[in-house]
Amino acid sequence: MKQNTYTLKLISFFVIFIFAMYIKVAIADSLPSDIEWITNTSASEWSSTTAQKGGLLRLNIASFPPTLRTVGPDSNNSFRNFLTDNQMPLVDMHPNSGEVIPMLASHWAYDNDGKTVYYKIKKNARWSNGNPVTADDFLFALKFNRSQDIVAPWYNKHFSEEIIDVIKFDTHTIAIVGARIKPKKDLHYYYSILPRAKHFHQLDENWVNNFNWKIEPNTGPYQINNIRKGKLIAFNRKDKWWAKDDQFLRNRFNVDNILIKVVRDPNTAFKYFERGELDVFNLTMPNLWHEKANGPMFQKGFIHKLSFYNQIAQGASGLFLNLENNILKDINVRKAIAHSLNFEKIIKQLLRNDYQRLPRFHSGYGEYSNEDISPLGFNLKQANTYLDSAGWSEKDSLGIRTQGNDRLSLTVSYGNKLHEPQIIVLTEEAKKAGIELRPQYLESTSFYKNVIEKKHDIAWLGWSTGFRPAYWQHFHSDNAYKPQTNNITNLANLNIDSLINQYRSSVVEKDRVRLAHLLEKEIADQVVFVPSTMVPFTRVGFWRWLKLPDSIATKSSTSLFNPFHPTHGGLFWIDAKSKNNSLTAKRSGKGFTASTTINDDYKVTDQ
Amino acid sequence: MESLAIDAKNSHQGSWRKFKRLKRGYFSFVLLSLMILMSCFGELMFNSKALLVQYQNELYWPVFSSAIEGKRFGLAYEYETNYRQLKKHWLEENTPHSNFVILPIVPFNATEVDLKDGAYPPLPPSMTTQHYLGTDTIGRDVLVRLVYGFRTAMFFAITLLIVEYFVGVLIGCFMGFLGGGFDLFFQRIIEVWSNIPFLYIVMIMSSLITPGFWSLVFIMALFGWMSMTWYMRSASYKEANRDYVLAAKMMGASNLRIICKHIIPNTVSTIITFVPFSVAGGITALTALDFLSFGLPAPSPSWGELLKQGVDNLDHPWIISSVVISLSFVLMLVTFIGEAIREVFDPKHKIYYE
Repeated sequence: MKQNTYTLKLISFFVIFIFAMYIKVAIADSLPSDIEWITNTSASEWSSTTAQKGGLLRLNIASFPPTLRTVGPDSNNSFRNFLTDNQMPLVDMHPNSGEVIPMLASHWAYDNDGKTVYYKIKKNARWSNGNPVTADDFLFALKFNRSQDIVAPWYNKHFSEEIIDVIKFDTHTIAIVGARIKPKKDLHYYYSILPRAKHFHQLDENWVNNFNWKIEPNTGPYQINNIRKGKLIAFNRKDKWWAKDDQFLRNRFNVDNILIKVVRDPNTAFKYFERGELDVFNLTMPNLWHEKANGPMFQKGFIHKLSFYNQIAQGASGLFLNLENNILKDINVRKAIAHSLNFEKIIKQLLRNDYQRLPRFHSGYGEYSNEDISPLGFNLKQANTYLDSAGWSEKDSLGIRTQGNDRLSLTVSYGNKLHEPQIIVLTEEAKKAGIELRPQYLESTSFYKNVIEKKHDIAWLGWSTGFRPAYWQHFHSDNAYKPQTNNITNLANLNIDSLINQYRSSVVEKDRVRLAHLLEKEIADQVVFVPSTMVPFTRVGFWRWLKLPDSIATKSSTSLFNPFHPTHGGLFWIDAKSKNNSLTAKRSGKGFTASTTINDDYKVTDQ
Repeated sequence: MESLAIDAKNSHQGSWRKFKRLKRGYFSFVLLSLMILMSCFGELMFNSKALLVQYQNELYWPVFSSAIEGKRFGLAYEYETNYRQLKKHWLEENTPHSNFVILPIVPFNATEVDLKDGAYPPLPPSMTTQHYLGTDTIGRDVLVRLVYGFRTAMFFAITLLIVEYFVGVLIGCFMGFLGGGFDLFFQRIIEVWSNIPFLYIVMIMSSLITPGFWSLVFIMALFGWMSMTWYMRSASYKEANRDYVLAAKMMGASNLRIICKHIIPNTVSTIITFVPFSVAGGITALTALDFLSFGLPAPSPSWGELLKQGVDNLDHPWIISSVVISLSFVLMLVTFIGEAIREVFDPKHKIYYE
């Protein structure tokens, strides 16, 4: 009897609970009626229909990842991209035309508020363990990224302050609400969120430790199937991948297995490549392309060389002049420094004419880039005129200019030894104008600290690229003369401030482009940044059995043999017949014709 | 007292004679001294500045004077004259015989970048380009950087040695001589101090400040002074009970005087025996730090930096071979000297058992 009452109570609670849930669903958010769903299925595909499936691709990385997590401590390592590229975004940008194309979502729509985008998740989308991808995985992703348990303050902040909410309408329909009004296309970039498998994660204070080596379910074409710690990580193609026949994703991701080996020393890695134990090797560095990559395997045509010009946003790299320094306050001195830096010599005699001079702070941003601006060239006469007019007309016994008791001597700080040759050549040349530039190498962490606290005279560094030009963080007076901000030149100019404010508040693309051009000019005129060089191409060596589409790659390809990237990855395939032939030929000592191709379809000639 | 002092002097002269008889060590010593001496005048042999220029019947000594603008010699530019170009220019132009340039044997300086159109650094050794050991990856002359790197390394090692020995010997002697609380206290300090991982500390400190010559000497001496203390402690402990020390004490000499005037001169054999090995240690320590980029800042010429370049560019063997050969050679000389000194002061040859 007692037992029965208890059961009855339990059942009634359960009924009430279900009823409450039902009410909650009934009064849940409903979609606005006036939105217009977009699918953009008319965009052209860029993969090759002749691609064959199968084979093994062997790549190398310099160090074994410290964790397989993609957030939290130590997760920001070079292996992370292999994992995140295997998570499909809702939508992405077409790698050639830049238009929005569907990926994990089939439809999307914009709200009239200018900051909300609605998405319909493809119904057949599956996690690697077979579970369907639903709206709940996106709600969970937001909760996940806001959680203290993942120990990732940047993510906590970004997903609280920039992404205001993720709303579920039904199992496959969500909306992402951003913090600020932005042009439509920009919303996808700034307010994007990758799903996290809700059924997989267990968020608690031990998450960071518990999930170090767990293989997270993903939505992309490959999943990890073998790990040998410290040695290699292997990926395996999902045979029944849910998106294998989807538009923009078909005929891609062709190789069955991808082996990523750890080879710590780049010289050793190159030897492995020449022996045929790696299939692909990046040859962007001039000494690799021109000198090392000429061995017998290249001569006999077993390894092909390919250089491909791309059009991607270029990071602003060069010298940042700190206006807090008394010498650099004078614009004439800054101009003189810009004219005394012999980048032409570096490009011609050190970098073998491969690299190009970076024209300005923002370059490669499509119509946002102001193509009319070019950097001040090496010109000692002009440098001398500017310095004389700035009062630096005397010279000391070493030929360095002086003014009263002051010497025209400044430090150039840098945090990467790779740049040392260039800096040393520049400082030697600058002496000709009577300017002493003292190279100062700082270990990367203390270099970063030194720069972000604005203790440098001149800093040599490069910023990473964004989706659109970003002026406020680098040039607005809000961020000048304050530590821990990105305005490392301490530029504080009322006119520039007001232009930046207009640029930030504008939502009309045309206005933003016009303002970006104006700003770029104003900033270039201040000569607080002297652009260095850029690499407008990617170069690889690859064994001849690897095949690429006729178009080779896309306008935005940063690498030709990226196995996973949702837009430009996985375009290549392995020709089994060719591999057999090649290996037989190699054993018998025969050869083929050597092949070096330079594809300049996307080369920008006026830069 | 008087006779003891004379004895010490005689015995030092005897040691020198004995050292001279040990040919291998003696020749190593002469050779190394010559090399150091030559490197001190390196600017006269390895320099981009000309030794002597005569132009329009006027003599110039660019090596000894401040920078002379190209204009002075009828060239078009205002910056310091490139004397190699000037020489070539005058040869091509067939200028009057009174104009001439005398260049040093190797007409490059340590930081100068010699880049050429169509040929990319590192350039192989060549007589025509006058890069007798080739150039490094930036186009600087390897030979010149070796010479100036040698000078820096030797002076670094010697300075470090002086600082370390000054502190180490003094503290060690006081420990042995005074004993008691002072001895105990410093024993513990040294035990703790020598357990601090030296290399990590140097790396951390070099990443916080950009190290220079003197700051590196300071950092390394801070962790290197302990090694001598133990030897000096036991040596002076032994000496403290000798008659001449007691005599000095009775005559009212202060502790400092007894240590500096009496004990140290009588334990000098211990000190000298260690010197060559400390020099070798100093050179390798600086090279190791430079190799790991925690040493002297760029573009100072250094062996460690050359070694690093050599390892990264094994297919340009002239870089690695020059530096490895030089390093082994110098360390070999120092070791030979060390061996000879040890031989000279070997107590087996001196003590007679009754």
